[in-house]
Amino acid sequence: MRTFESVIADLLPGALAGLAGGLVFAVTMWEVDRLPVFAEIVGASSETAGLILVIVVAVVIGSGFGVLVRQQRPGAGETLLWGLIYGAFWWYLGRLTLLPLAQGKGLTWDVAAAQNAVPELLGLVLYGATLGLSLVGLQWRRHFQTESLRVTRGCLFRGVVAGLISAYLLGTMANAQDQLPVFTGMAAVDSGFGVWWVLLLIGILAGVGYAFLFPRANDGTGVGLIRGTVYGFVWWVAGALTLIPIISGSGMTWSVAEIQSVFPTLPGYLLFGGAIALLYQFLGGLVRLLFSEFVPGGTDEGIGAQGLRVVGRSMLAALVGGLLFSLLMWQIGFLPRVAELVGSSSAVGGFFIHMAIAGLVGLSYGLLFRRQSYDVGSALGWGVSYGIFWSILGPMTLMPMLLGGSPLWTAEAAASVFPNLVGHIGYGAGLGITFFILETRYNPWWIPSSRVRAERQLRYREQVVTSGPAVWTLLILLGLTMPVLLGKGSGLAPIY
Amino acid sequence: MGNWASIPSAGLRRDLLAGSVAGLIGGLVFWWALAAQDMTASVPGVLGLELFAAWPALHLLVSALLGACFGAISRYQPEGYAGLTSGGLLWGLLWWIAGPMTLSPLLGGLGPSWSILEASTAFPSLIGHLLYGGVTGLGLYATANLYLRYRPEVEAPETRAEAASKHILILGGGFAGISAAQRLERLFAHDPSVDVTLVSQSNALLFTPMLAEVASSAVEGQHISAPIRASCPNTQFYRAEVLSIDADLQVIRMRSGPSPTVEEVSYDHLVLALGSIPSFYGLPGMEQHSFTLKTLEDATRLRNHIIYLLEDADFEPDEEQRRKQLTFVVAGGGFAGTETMAELFDLVNSVLGYYSNLRAEYLRFVLVHSRDRILPELSDKLGDYAIGKLRDRGIEFLLNTRVTGATADSVLLEGQGPLPACTVVWTAGNQPNPLLSTLACERNRNGAVIVDETLRVTGLVNVWAVGDCAQVPDADVEGQAYPPTAQHALREGKVVAENIAATLRGRPLKRFRFQALGVLVGLGHRTAAAEIRGLRFSGLLAWLMWRSIYLSKLPGIEKKVRVALDWTIDLFFPRDIALTSVPDRIIHPADSESSQEAANPNERVQ
Repeated sequence: MRTFESVIADLLPGALAGLAGGLVFAVTMWEVDRLPVFAEIVGASSETAGLILVIVVAVVIGSGFGVLVRQQRPGAGETLLWGLIYGAFWWYLGRLTLLPLAQGKGLTWDVAAAQNAVPELLGLVLYGATLGLSLVGLQWRRHFQTESLRVTRGCLFRGVVAGLISAYLLGTMANAQDQLPVFTGMAAVDSGFGVWWVLLLIGILAGVGYAFLFPRANDGTGVGLIRGTVYGFVWWVAGALTLIPIISGSGMTWSVAEIQSVFPTLPGYLLFGGAIALLYQFLGGLVRLLFSEFVPGGTDEGIGAQGLRVVGRSMLAALVGGLLFSLLMWQIGFLPRVAELVGSSSAVGGFFIHMAIAGLVGLSYGLLFRRQSYDVGSALGWGVSYGIFWSILGPMTLMPMLLGGSPLWTAEAAASVFPNLVGHIGYGAGLGITFFILETRYNPWWIPSSRVRAERQLRYREQVVTSGPAVWTLLILLGLTMPVLLGKGSGLAPIY
Repeated sequence: MGNWASIPSAGLRRDLLAGSVAGLIGGLVFWWALAAQDMTASVPGVLGLELFAAWPALHLLVSALLGACFGAISRYQPEGYAGLTSGGLLWGLLWWIAGPMTLSPLLGGLGPSWSILEASTAFPSLIGHLLYGGVTGLGLYATANLYLRYRPEVEAPETRAEAASKHILILGGGFAGISAAQRLERLFAHDPSVDVTLVSQSNALLFTPMLAEVASSAVEGQHISAPIRASCPNTQFYRAEVLSIDADLQVIRMRSGPSPTVEEVSYDHLVLALGSIPSFYGLPGMEQHSFTLKTLEDATRLRNHIIYLLEDADFEPDEEQRRKQLTFVVAGGGFAGTETMAELFDLVNSVLGYYSNLRAEYLRFVLVHSRDRILPELSDKLGDYAIGKLRDRGIEFLLNTRVTGATADSVLLEGQGPLPACTVVWTAGNQPNPLLSTLACERNRNGAVIVDETLRVTGLVNVWAVGDCAQVPDADVEGQAYPPTAQHALREGKVVAENIAATLRGRPLKRFRFQALGVLVGLGHRTAAAEIRGLRFSGLLAWLMWRSIYLSKLPGIEKKVRVALDWTIDLFFPRDIALTSVPDRIIHPADSESSQEAANPNERVQ
């Protein structure tokens, strides 16, 4: 019965955090005039009834969250990420499924209904974020007691540097497609110079925020990259769609049309978040490499031996993933467009270029994600997440730039490269799983094989309690849902 | 088949069962939600196959199957419900892509285009798949948890796995032993019931074909030896000396140092890969006064000795003494002997410039060989080429001549007077490890253990032998045995590992059969001779082949890089003559008297 009692003990903080999240959700719903929607459940139409209902449901759901994350690894960032996936899932389960049923309107799962409910999606993302962070606040000791979770000045400095560089990159890319003002809210600043100041300020804030959330996470640069991409999504919702419209005085409506008008900020912020985390983790690794004391008992073999092994494995893995991707692209006749990168237009040329790119990306996967997967599930998770990340960085950003243009972060582009997204998911799955299989053939732990299994189990266990599963699911969910909800010009042929 | 009931599989069975139950529930939820919005025909459940609209039971079956797959992939973890639920969502999303976005249009004959339009049409199914995945994930956790509550004996496979049930013990860390260990690690990578232990007196695998180059200062000693612990990360390694083997009780006794602590290790299968040691055939003075090339220590000792002699000779006023110091004799004209001779010649000649009092004409290099041809493994043509090349450089060959003994400053030759020389390198004989003589099994004249064609030792149970210490019957030539070379040892190690695995798994054994790929011999100074698959190469081309093949055979990428760098440095810079230790056999004229006693010219050569 001890389990039961401890579950009860986690319900209360969850409920309190749910209350905080509910308040944030209610405020945003009030701002966009959505509270009456919720009142319909009890047959009322007043905002007060809606408010009470929202708070009650938020508290109930919040207590469930308290139980859900009680066994997960402590940490502000970890809990935030779980909060996000929790909030997002409740949009599908609660808003799109249970609410219509409760309203007695009958269930409709089509795109129109989903587009109509976009404000609630954003609201639930903020709810999830608040829920996670409030729970961290309420269980302060649990989340900040260990040395590795303490935020030092060095962490903050790293955060600032990472944030500034990422903001600069973001600004440059946005500027190249004349979308810079969109990022800062046009009404607030009128000069281009001012826009840059706002952007760099956002960079500092986001960088410092990342440092607070993941102060000394040393779980690999790749993991950080994927986590950062999701972190960028939080900044998109909280910053680009909420705070900036409010501060600039234009007010937020969260309508599909409004969001579409600032669509370039979505890929922008996702890449921005990824860049912050990548730089932050990289700088952390560099500092550890150069200045830290030697840690005895490590199982690392040195960069040379490990690096070469990684190159071999990732090349083979990329071959499998790349073939899968090429097959998908061949099916939709995309290969000749890839060949345009070198001024050719043949499918065969496209195939080879495609495979070469797949090899390079696969190599980077091997270097970033080595020894991160301990079962097929996590291999699939990291691989597919990395594929999604590249579907933003590749066809929407680097490819148009290499073709001599600027990045194309528009809603139209997002809709037209959707087939490419599916291709990237297939690529990531093939890459991740093959790399995992190759990696597990070798167990560099210097223990007899009877203990290898236990060691692998232990590491797998460690991974299960991280935010890894939440991050994969969230990123893939976003990658698939956002273009469907916000993409414009459905049915267009791919533009490149 | 017997494994099906064992513990790890029970965990898998549990997860398959729990997954299918959870998948069934998920499928029911999915179907209920579709029915609630009259969409069972337009969005026909998981995979979105139209077939399901007419056959809802099929939808449930597929749901259960996909749930079972999820169980097998994601596996139940205690308290891992958050991860499983989230993983379930991911699972649902991936099947949305695979099903309604891909499989369904494929079966419809249109072929998928994965366009945003298709995605929008399939959006209801996306939500359905998410629900299905979420319910399956959480359901898997709940069902497996329930299952464990009623069948707690299924739990804790890890603790059970700690005690390995089979123990394979390899004695010797040479080519054969290491290759057997590595192959066994591969074969049992996912089988915790088998443990491999390796016992060797050296903690590194030595690439012996390159010892001559270490002796000649061309390559750093450490660079041709790879630590066993790094090469075999999942093998239990003991650096120890084996004292005795008891094949009846299946136990060995070993000692790690001079301390009297003797450890006993029992085994289920024993692999003898103890290699060979130099054999002096009882020649008087040979063991005390000659140098051998079997270990790294041998090579560095020879190198230091030669450099020390050059240093001494540089201010030696007595011409006769100096001649002795500058005469270098190698006994044995096989691969090791010829390569050593060539390398010593290169070393001495390349550093001679440093010694202002020494001149090339003082030097004398002599190779003594008991037969009429050196390098008998090579064809006549290449043998002639090798001897011709070396003779042109000034190396003398005493063919059909036997060495009968050695003193501190001379080599005794059969039928000839003593050859004054302070250096004699013995490469003319090897014998299998003497420990083998304690075993109650068949041995050949030289002392090697006789094995059958599956590498089992004849007359002993669960004992196998490979490498130089075993006589392996040639599968192609009746009555012949394979030569004791590194090429063979490597393959024998692999086959013995596979045969042990086959024995443990109750499968038929493999016969060892290998045709040597060819032979290579380095002749120093950018020349070599090679015979590969009947093709003959010589000169620079052969030298390049020799270097690249040796490089590729070196164990581990790190050592490859190091040796490649050593060779590159050797191309551009003179050899290093720094002494790393004082040779233990410094020649003083006073020693000569005592050494005379040891040499008895009347004693016969065996």
